Amino acid sequence: MRFIKTREEGLKENYLELHYDGMDSETVELIARLDTTLANVEGICEERHVSVPVTEVLYFETVDRKTFAYTDKMCIEMRMTLNNVLDMYSGAGLIRISRSAVVNVYRIDHLQGDMNMRTVIFMKNGERLIMNRGYKKEFMAELERIRERSVK
Amino acid sequence: MKLINKKNFISIVCISFTLIVCGKLLIEKAFGFTDVHYTGNILLCLGFSVIITAALALHFYMQRFPLIPVLAVQYLLVIGTTAGIVKAVDVIAGTATNAMWQMLLSVTIPFVVSAAVYYMAFFRQIKKANDILAEINREKA
Repeated sequence: MRFIKTREEGLKENYLELHYDGMDSETVELIARLDTTLANVEGICEERHVSVPVTEVLYFETVDRKTFAYTDKMCIEMRMTLNNVLDMYSGAGLIRISRSAVVNVYRIDHLQGDMNMRTVIFMKNGERLIMNRGYKKEFMAELERIRERSVK
Repeated sequence: MKLINKKNFISIVCISFTLIVCGKLLIEKAFGFTDVHYTGNILLCLGFSVIITAALALHFYMQRFPLIPVLAVQYLLVIGTTAGIVKAVDVIAGTATNAMWQMLLSVTIPFVVSAAVYYMAFFRQIKKANDILAEINREKA
C-alpha cells in the first residue's frame, strides 16, 4: 500500500482519504487502527456534553468510582470504567500505570526514577504522574509493543 | 530485572542457590580447600537464598512505602533471621567464637550486592523506557 502526503494550503480541517479496489488484510488492519486512533472520548465537562479525540487525552483516572479523562484544557467525566477505556481505545497508545490511572504514551515527555523506586511520568504539559513499581513490567511490555507498531 | 513475586519466587531462589553453590565450589577448587561441614553449609546456602529472596520480595508488597524504610526493614529482617539461626545452632551444636560476626558478614555482603544490582537495574530500565519514548515520538513526528 502506498502512503501519499499532500500539503494543501487553506484547508479548514485535515483529512485522510483511502482509495481501494478490494479490502486486503493490510487495509483492514490499517482501518481498525485508524478507527481507534481517531475515536472520540465523550463525557461531561462543566455541565456540558463534550467530545474530544482520544489522542488529545493525556491520561484517564478513577476518583471515587468516577472516571475522568484529562486533556490540556479539560477534565471530562466519563461513564465508563478504566477497563472499558483500555478495551475501547486499545490501539491509541494507552497504558495502565496504577490501579486508578491509564496514561496516553504519546503524551509522555519522559520518565524519571525517584528515591522510592517509583517511576515519575512527566507529561508534555508539565503534569507529573506516579507509576507504581508493580505496573512497570506491564508498562515496559506495552511500550515495546507500541514501538514495534510505530516502526512498522 | 523482574520484581520478585509469588509466581517467580521459587525460580529466583533456585537460580540464586545454584549460583552461590557454583561460586562456593569454584573457590574451593581454586584454593584446594576441603569443606568438612559440606552438607550443613550447602543447606545454609539454601536457607540464606530463601531469606534474602524473601527480603527483596518485600518490595512487591511494600510499593506504597518510601525506599529507605523498606531497605532498612529488609536488612533488619535478614540480619535478625541470620542471628536467630546462628544462636539456635550455637545452642544445639556449638559454634566458633566469631561465628556470629562471620555469618553477619556473609549475609551482609551478598545482600548489599544483590540490592545494589536490583536498584541499578531499575534506573537502567527507566533509561531504556526513555529511549523507546524518544523513538516513538520521533516516528510520530
